[in-house]
Amino acid sequence: MADDQGERLALATTTAAAERGIGGRAGGRERGRGLALVAAVPAVLWMVAFFVVPLGVFAFYSLLTNAFYDVAFPLTTDAYVSAVTSPLNRTLAWNSASVGLTTGAITVAVGLPVAYWLRFVAGRSRVAVLFLITSSMFASYLVRIYAWRTILGSRGVVNSVLDRVGLIDEPLGFLLYSRFAVVLALVHIFLPYVVLVLYAAMAPLGRGLLEAGEDLGAGSSLLWRRVILPIMAAPAVSAFVFVFILSAADYVTPQFLGGRDGLTLGVQIQSNFITVGNWPLAAATSILMLLAFLLLFLLLNALLRFRRLHDLRIQT
Amino acid sequence: MGHRMRTGVSRREFLRRSGLTMITIGATPAILAACGDDGETGTGGSPTATSGGTPQAPDASGTINFLSWEGYDIPVDSMNAWKKDHDIEVNPTYIGNHDDIQAKIKAGGDAAGYDLITYYQGYMPLYTELEILTPLDENKLPNLEGMFEFWASDINNFWINSEGQRIGVPWTWGSIGLTYNSAEVDEMSSWYDLLDPSLDGKIATVDDPAGNFNLACKILDLPSHQVPKDRLGDIEDLLSQFVRASRGVSPSFGDMTSKLVSGDAVACFHGWAAMNTFAADQGLDTVETNIPDEGSHSFCDAYAIPPTTQNPDAALAWINESISAEVNAEAAEYLVGGVTVEGAVDLLNEATAGLYPYEDLEGLLELAPLAINAPTQSDEYVTFPDWLETWQTIKASA
Repeated sequence: MADDQGERLALATTTAAAERGIGGRAGGRERGRGLALVAAVPAVLWMVAFFVVPLGVFAFYSLLTNAFYDVAFPLTTDAYVSAVTSPLNRTLAWNSASVGLTTGAITVAVGLPVAYWLRFVAGRSRVAVLFLITSSMFASYLVRIYAWRTILGSRGVVNSVLDRVGLIDEPLGFLLYSRFAVVLALVHIFLPYVVLVLYAAMAPLGRGLLEAGEDLGAGSSLLWRRVILPIMAAPAVSAFVFVFILSAADYVTPQFLGGRDGLTLGVQIQSNFITVGNWPLAAATSILMLLAFLLLFLLLNALLRFRRLHDLRIQT
Repeated sequence: MGHRMRTGVSRREFLRRSGLTMITIGATPAILAACGDDGETGTGGSPTATSGGTPQAPDASGTINFLSWEGYDIPVDSMNAWKKDHDIEVNPTYIGNHDDIQAKIKAGGDAAGYDLITYYQGYMPLYTELEILTPLDENKLPNLEGMFEFWASDINNFWINSEGQRIGVPWTWGSIGLTYNSAEVDEMSSWYDLLDPSLDGKIATVDDPAGNFNLACKILDLPSHQVPKDRLGDIEDLLSQFVRASRGVSPSFGDMTSKLVSGDAVACFHGWAAMNTFAADQGLDTVETNIPDEGSHSFCDAYAIPPTTQNPDAALAWINESISAEVNAEAAEYLVGGVTVEGAVDLLNEATAGLYPYEDLEGLLELAPLAINAPTQSDEYVTFPDWLETWQTIKASA
């Protein structure tokens, strides 16, 4: 019974959304297609010049022979072999993945309800709350990292309060210079971006859709499961990937807050470029990291597509 | 008990003005080694030296593209006046790690255009191999006359290469020590005291592979540039213990100082006397530095001209001015460092003059000599790349 209700609800809301979308965009899309292509040219050129070409150079360097702060022929895959077989790289890759996954999951899990609240509940206070959320972005990255040290340190705010109320005898050491501290700081840094992305993505999710669902007898749980989350899945995955990549590749926060178990592959890549002078290894590790990110993106994309097909099958 | 180095609170503006909190790493300056003057000295002539005549600084002007630590462009009154008089403009690129220098020069090629760099003596073999150091014309450096004999000498070919060519001019130096908060812990006579279980998680280490390996070699009584390959494990084990006892490796000396001030650390492996002043500037005046009985190492930074220079005469004129007594003294006060010019000692304020025992430099340099980094290639000895790669492993898995 509940499933039938859910299917009818999904069909109704999806159809409504599709009709509105088609009606609103059909004419404009045709007229604007030519203009859009022209408008995209600068961005495409920019990306080709400053992303695709450097990436090509990077890939080429990764296949050259290390010559200590230089590269030389012949072409070889030695750097890739070193990057993959290095136990240190494996440890750091796991650290990176762990930091990225945790940060991405927390930011999306926290950001989604906040975005929903802003879209449907906040009312007049929306602008003020949005301002408060984004205001932390006004402070520089390093200032925010140092602020966390002040909060989490041995004599920091948290330990001082816990000590004062008698909950601890000694400062909690795990708060700072740990993976926990890195994730906490990164969540703080990226959460505003995620909230903004998800809030913007909720724009097409009109109140009418929710009301239609309610009229068909859906409770809030079913509304979230069959209306809100399916519509928000794609932007949520985008936000997750965005945060995952930036967190897993970050090499500044781990150095200041990370301790021994918070170091990431990004730190190692930086060291290989600058300190160790092994450019092919650094380039190969970067390329492998990029491929891993790409793989994750494709997997999530496939998952979304599968989910969509699954939903369509149910509806038909 | 080892040598104690104290600094009074002098350059309170140091951090505010230079942001040298980020002075890090490899900033480690360097090392004074076998300081005993072997008498060979001599400032060998450079191939470009003009024969005969009285040495004279070039009358140059224009822009100097500078690549080094923030603060090493000597933004003090006497130098600013000299720049104005000679219509010299400095275009600085500041580094966050000593290795940025070779990375930027090698990656940028001739197009990098840097005219002036610094290097600490431990990097001399590497920079020689990478062909980063060019011969300097001593006839354009008349102020060499005023330097301490030791600093002007060709000791270990740090500043004068094996062919007798001057490749660098040392102008600031210091010694590495055990820096601690005397309000929290007593003075320690051994580096191993830092491994006392009561200090677990309360010491700080810095991300300076060369400095840490040089110090470990000193503690283990190994010649840093000739460590047999089978002893690398001993060094790794020792450094791992110190890193394990810390809660993460600080990216800079400034960051270690912050940990002392915040109470997250009470003592530092591979500290620096200047940190006493940095901490005092942040309100903690109980930080002190001593050299434990096993000894330590010292560092000395030298100006040099890379092959990418477009304005060598202006760079030479700058170097010459940096070793005038007045500028050298003012720079030492600004950087909380040592002077290399004899006449500068009398110009130092009390705090900076008391930083190092100029009356017994030999004693200090015997306990904390200028070290030489490992060779870049060797089948017999641990190499510099071995240091760097091992340090990465220690940082992540200690």
